[in-house]
Amino acid sequence: MAESAQANTAVQVRDLTRAFGVRKALDRVSFDLPGGAFLSIFGPNGAGKTTLVRVLTTLLNPSSGTASVCGSDVVTEAVQLRHRIGLISHNPLLYPDLTAEENLLFFSEMYGLDDPKTRVRELLESVELDHRRLDVVSTFSRGMLQRLSIARALLHRPDVLFLDEPYSGLDPHAMDILDGLIAQIRGDHTFVMISHDLDKGLELCSHALILARGKVVLFEKREEIDVPEFRATYRATVGTGVA
Amino acid sequence: MKSNSWRQFKAILRKDIVMELRTKEMVSSMGLYAILTMVVYQIALAEAGESFDVRLVMPGLIWVAFIFMSMLGLNRSFVHEKDQGCIEALLLSPVDRPVIFFAKATGNLIFLLIVEFLSLPIFSFLFMQGRAGYGNPVWLLAVVLFGASVGIAAVGTLLATMTVNTKGKDVMLAVLFVPLMYPLLRAAVGATFAAVIGGPGSVETFWAFMAWVVGYDAIMGLVAYGLYEFVIGV
Repeated sequence: MAESAQANTAVQVRDLTRAFGVRKALDRVSFDLPGGAFLSIFGPNGAGKTTLVRVLTTLLNPSSGTASVCGSDVVTEAVQLRHRIGLISHNPLLYPDLTAEENLLFFSEMYGLDDPKTRVRELLESVELDHRRLDVVSTFSRGMLQRLSIARALLHRPDVLFLDEPYSGLDPHAMDILDGLIAQIRGDHTFVMISHDLDKGLELCSHALILARGKVVLFEKREEIDVPEFRATYRATVGTGVA
Repeated sequence: MKSNSWRQFKAILRKDIVMELRTKEMVSSMGLYAILTMVVYQIALAEAGESFDVRLVMPGLIWVAFIFMSMLGLNRSFVHEKDQGCIEALLLSPVDRPVIFFAKATGNLIFLLIVEFLSLPIFSFLFMQGRAGYGNPVWLLAVVLFGASVGIAAVGTLLATMTVNTKGKDVMLAVLFVPLMYPLLRAAVGATFAAVIGGPGSVETFWAFMAWVVGYDAIMGLVAYGLYEFVIGV
């Protein structure tokens, strides 16, 4: 699945608009992201970044326009698409009263994995939480929660991984672990990451996008980006306020 | 249900049961509410006198307690999902939304039945002491408890999903839940009365009310099934 994602356009967005009442959180957003790319999305608070990710992850329907991920339309082929995407948010999206292992086994069942126990063990080892597998998640630190959240998102081997401010609230050690995990799986996945950290976002990305007031201000390949100019554009958009 | 849907149904139900066994939030809050209601009933009926046959009002008292008790539990049933954003992880997975509804409603039904069956002997002790026993077999009471609880769980799960994101969700749930419960409550009280009081023709009356209960369960179950995808979001 990862190979097919890399061979084609992983994310295709055409005139995507999402309105909440009269306010347009996304206003005719269009871009193409090739398979295997790493897209960093920047923009001020309220620019529409999270709305864009929610639409692309099938959690929100667009008001108009189209979007497809791995060739599946986010509205009409949402169920097929959900097999191929994962989301790591600043919220861990884990049940605090279940153990680490129970959480992952539960989501394995949701994705219909064939050998859930082996896959769960494998992932718990890779995020260095094997020794805490029988502990309830409410006893975990923020860094541990984020590592477990990564394991949850990777359970079903998604082609495209969405990261919504994944470094938010992490200590330097946890950030290093997250960096290491992203580096490990970088070649097998397409990434779409929301970030407020320009340095981190530019360091990781192959493509960058700036959103402001729900519109695409800039979408460029990393090698085409002039960093000082990019920073100036970003600073200018932060001043434009919300959509 | 497809085999994958069956796996997902079992996983959601098992998860809810494991979490309830650990936190005991729903069962303990509903159980405590049921006991407190019975104490209040006993105080309210303390001056009714020996000639007053409490069995005549007991079916109504039971169902008033169970309806309000269930609102307390149903409100809690989606808080776990909402608190840590877990509902998003669930919605991100390739699970048909009606599977979530059936699993959550089944979990709510189990917790509701546990509290109802545990509180019935206390009801009986407080209100039937020294009086004649049931006119009909006790299993008739079990049938109406089960039948009406199916409807409460189905409608309650739908409404709890709708109101979990609203401000003042407790009030909102009550405002929507109680009017929708009216037909079921009426039938459940009628069937319980026939089961408890007994007498000639009471079994026929019981089954007539039960037909009403089953019809309500079927209609509301289908409505909830049809609306759930819309209610829970994408």
